[in-house]
Amino acid sequence: MSTETASAPVRAAGNAGVKTFGREITFMMIFSAIVLTMPFWITLIGGYQGLATKIMVWAIFAVGFDILLGFTGLLSFGHAAFFGGAAYITGVVFRDYTSEIIVAFLASQVGVMILAVIIGFLSIRRTGIYFSILTLAFASMLFAAALAIFAPFTGGYDGLTMRTTPSLFGMPMQGLSVFYMGAFMLIFGFAVARTLKNSAFGLMLRSIKENPMRLEYTGVNVWAYKMAAFIISAHFAAVAGFLMVVYEPYVATKFLHWSTSGEVVIMSVIGGVGTLLGPIIGAAFLMYFENVVQSFIGEQWKLVLGLIFVLVVIFLPGGFMQLGSMIWKATGQKAFGGAPPPEGPRKHDSERE
Amino acid sequence: MDMNALFLQLLTGLQLGAIYALIALGLTLIFGTLGFVNFAHGALYVIAIYAAVTIGANTSFVAAIVLVPLLLFLIGVVFERGLIRHFYTRPHTDQILITFGIAIVVEELMKWWFGANNIPFNLPEWGSGLMVFYSDWSTVPPVPVFQDAPSLWVPFIDGFVTYQFWRVILIVVALITVGALFALLQFTRFGLVVRAGMRDPEMLRFLGINISQKFAIVVGMGAAIAGVAGVFGGPVTQVTPGVGMALLVPSFLVVVIGGMGSLTGALVAAILIGMALSFTAEIADLQQIVIYLIAVVVLLVRPRGLFGKKGVFE
Amino acid sequence: MAQVQTAEMETGHRGVAPGAPILEVAGLNKRFGGLQAINNVSLNVAKGSIHAIIGPNGAGKSTFLNCMIGLIEPDTGEVNFEGRSIKGLTPHRIIQRGIARVFQTPQIFPVMSLVDNVTIAALAKRDGEFKFNPIKPLNGANSARQEAEAILEQVGLADQRHGDAEHLSRGDKRRLELAICIAAHAKLLLLDEPTAGMSRHDTNRTIDLLKTISETGMTKVIIEHDMHVVFSLAQRVTVLAQGTVIADGTPEEVRVNPKVKEAYLGGAH
Repeated sequence: MSTETASAPVRAAGNAGVKTFGREITFMMIFSAIVLTMPFWITLIGGYQGLATKIMVWAIFAVGFDILLGFTGLLSFGHAAFFGGAAYITGVVFRDYTSEIIVAFLASQVGVMILAVIIGFLSIRRTGIYFSILTLAFASMLFAAALAIFAPFTGGYDGLTMRTTPSLFGMPMQGLSVFYMGAFMLIFGFAVARTLKNSAFGLMLRSIKENPMRLEYTGVNVWAYKMAAFIISAHFAAVAGFLMVVYEPYVATKFLHWSTSGEVVIMSVIGGVGTLLGPIIGAAFLMYFENVVQSFIGEQWKLVLGLIFVLVVIFLPGGFMQLGSMIWKATGQKAFGGAPPPEGPRKHDSERE
Repeated sequence: MDMNALFLQLLTGLQLGAIYALIALGLTLIFGTLGFVNFAHGALYVIAIYAAVTIGANTSFVAAIVLVPLLLFLIGVVFERGLIRHFYTRPHTDQILITFGIAIVVEELMKWWFGANNIPFNLPEWGSGLMVFYSDWSTVPPVPVFQDAPSLWVPFIDGFVTYQFWRVILIVVALITVGALFALLQFTRFGLVVRAGMRDPEMLRFLGINISQKFAIVVGMGAAIAGVAGVFGGPVTQVTPGVGMALLVPSFLVVVIGGMGSLTGALVAAILIGMALSFTAEIADLQQIVIYLIAVVVLLVRPRGLFGKKGVFE
Repeated sequence: MAQVQTAEMETGHRGVAPGAPILEVAGLNKRFGGLQAINNVSLNVAKGSIHAIIGPNGAGKSTFLNCMIGLIEPDTGEVNFEGRSIKGLTPHRIIQRGIARVFQTPQIFPVMSLVDNVTIAALAKRDGEFKFNPIKPLNGANSARQEAEAILEQVGLADQRHGDAEHLSRGDKRRLELAICIAAHAKLLLLDEPTAGMSRHDTNRTIDLLKTISETGMTKVIIEHDMHVVFSLAQRVTVLAQGTVIADGTPEEVRVNPKVKEAYLGGAH
């Protein structure tokens, strides 16, 4: 029986022991090394230092989004509200109060928590379809309000501009220091999300995606778990929004627009929903595409991106991660560093049938 | 309140509601029968307006009126048979994702071919100009622009008012389209099956009626209605690739407020939203968010929407 | 892995003596439009018993069961579980009180291992309806996981425990669902045609399993069409017809009751 256990595939919440822990440490170290050296190697492939910071911003956003979409199976089209909301709060703090980023960070987190509770309360009454539409609607409402009612605070259509340089305990935060702050936030957030995935809480979230009715009739408050996942992912979005404004002290109205929600959906799906690493890769890919590849293919880059997205949804529901694991299987290699084999969303797709 | 202003605001409310109704009816029809949200419905509207502009400029507007809904019907059928059909067994989120992807591709294609900016939509000779509503013809100034315009006697108003004739046409066309759709669903066997499918798809399968064969036609119909909306609504809204998504969000809300899958609900909610927009026009800040406020209030009071039934996709 | 513990069922709950009713239903009514689906139904289920509810199609059996677990709210009437009302509670609260439900189509978590399936229920019992515990890894050392392994052993699914649940046969899916209910430490199990669509072999296996579970003292209410199942298991049978109770007694009493024959043969005279 024990041999059977050993040969069984390593599951996310799989076997106990030091071995798993050691693998996790190795995996995180490799991940950290790749992330922390990004400003240097990204210039080799046509990028620039600032692009690395932007990738940090969107990767944090995407990791949080995966807790909601990948684990729980809830597709939100309203996460721009949290990204943009945090960006505006950060911007207002910088413009009107202080350039100290800790204050802005705390203010944006508190503000987004309140926002997430309200939007979550209104949207998580129903399943899939309703949820997507309602999150889209409430984020659109915030966008409209920011341009109209709140225009005195937000600068309306012009966006929010400020002259301050953000600082940490008086030290100015610019260039590489912003990148490293973002990189540490991403590494920390990624580790948190991975821990969460392997916990009892993570199992509950994943079972919501599988069969919410069974879960409710097993005595679990499905609504509360959905709400928790929603709020957690909103906080990740808020960190990203905050970081965006520290990187570039300007708040564009676009941050609140639904297309920002759409972008995080696209990167998650292209990278591979439910894998945590996939959305990070998706974020890097999309940023690279938008900033570097665009210069080669011109105006039509968005069309190409749309086509890639459609093709991935149709043929590769597990995104790049699925592609990666297919290649790995084909070449007969084991996953590097002992990382768990990339798990696609494992839907009823052709790969399994 | 000034009767003339009230009358004009009612007309504007109807005209705004007409566009939302046409888009929302297609959405809710597809949602009710197929059980998925078509994020590409705005894209269908965009295709329709650009097709109408192109056909209108090259041949005649009448040709556009005939051809565009037909073209959209075909696109709808091909869309269902070629793509959507393969997603019925996939999770709901995948269905949303694929239509969302299609919406992006269509928007970007239109941007590529026609540019991102608004292009003029030339109204046909017979549809441009004003329409005169009067209670007393003697008050209408004796100039050709009023004297030769189409006119209608309306009680209660003071003297006369004018309104863009095209917008009146839009209201009338919307009424006819909605009437035709309801009649089709009410009085034909096809409609009977579709309505039964909207209520209880399980039961229909149990009775051995294969509703999925009708799905292509349902999507085609939804698309054709979006086609009608595009031809007549295009001159009123805008002719930009982004207008589809801009209209989609309020149309979703119309569907949600009305109750998902309820055609009557969509119609009532569309008029409600149109009126709300029209009557808040003087308070710009409020007008921007009035749709959402209504949606929040309705959802808090009636979580299933005005005409929503228990058990539909919960 | 080999250490197998028998799942301990909780004993001595809330002062309900064996044989006393664990579930009391009084004057239950439910109307759907013009249809009186449940008409003044009263029923007591003795603790530790297997109680079958039978009746012709459309008798209101499933509606009755759904009223028990909060899926449908009855119009009037009282439902008491262990002496406390459960009417109007949300489903998960009712389940937390100690009721479990087995559905006509086995409801499991398809793309998850069997261990995960059962662990979820064990966690729901251990941690209640909601617990925010995102740090501690859910590995083999976890008590909920150990219990899940033991229960899978008990229901005979141990050798498949790391495979995905969706690949199980229908009979095994049912066993898994029962394992989920055992892990929830249900005191009362509501079963809606647990053997529907099963082969005779799977049916018998399920009956055996239900008997085994009964030895732990779990009370069962079972809706069934298959009289073989009813008479193999039930100690008491209630017959519903057109939403009303027309007979109630031991299987033998019910078998000879003329009203029951009439209801089943329906208007033959």
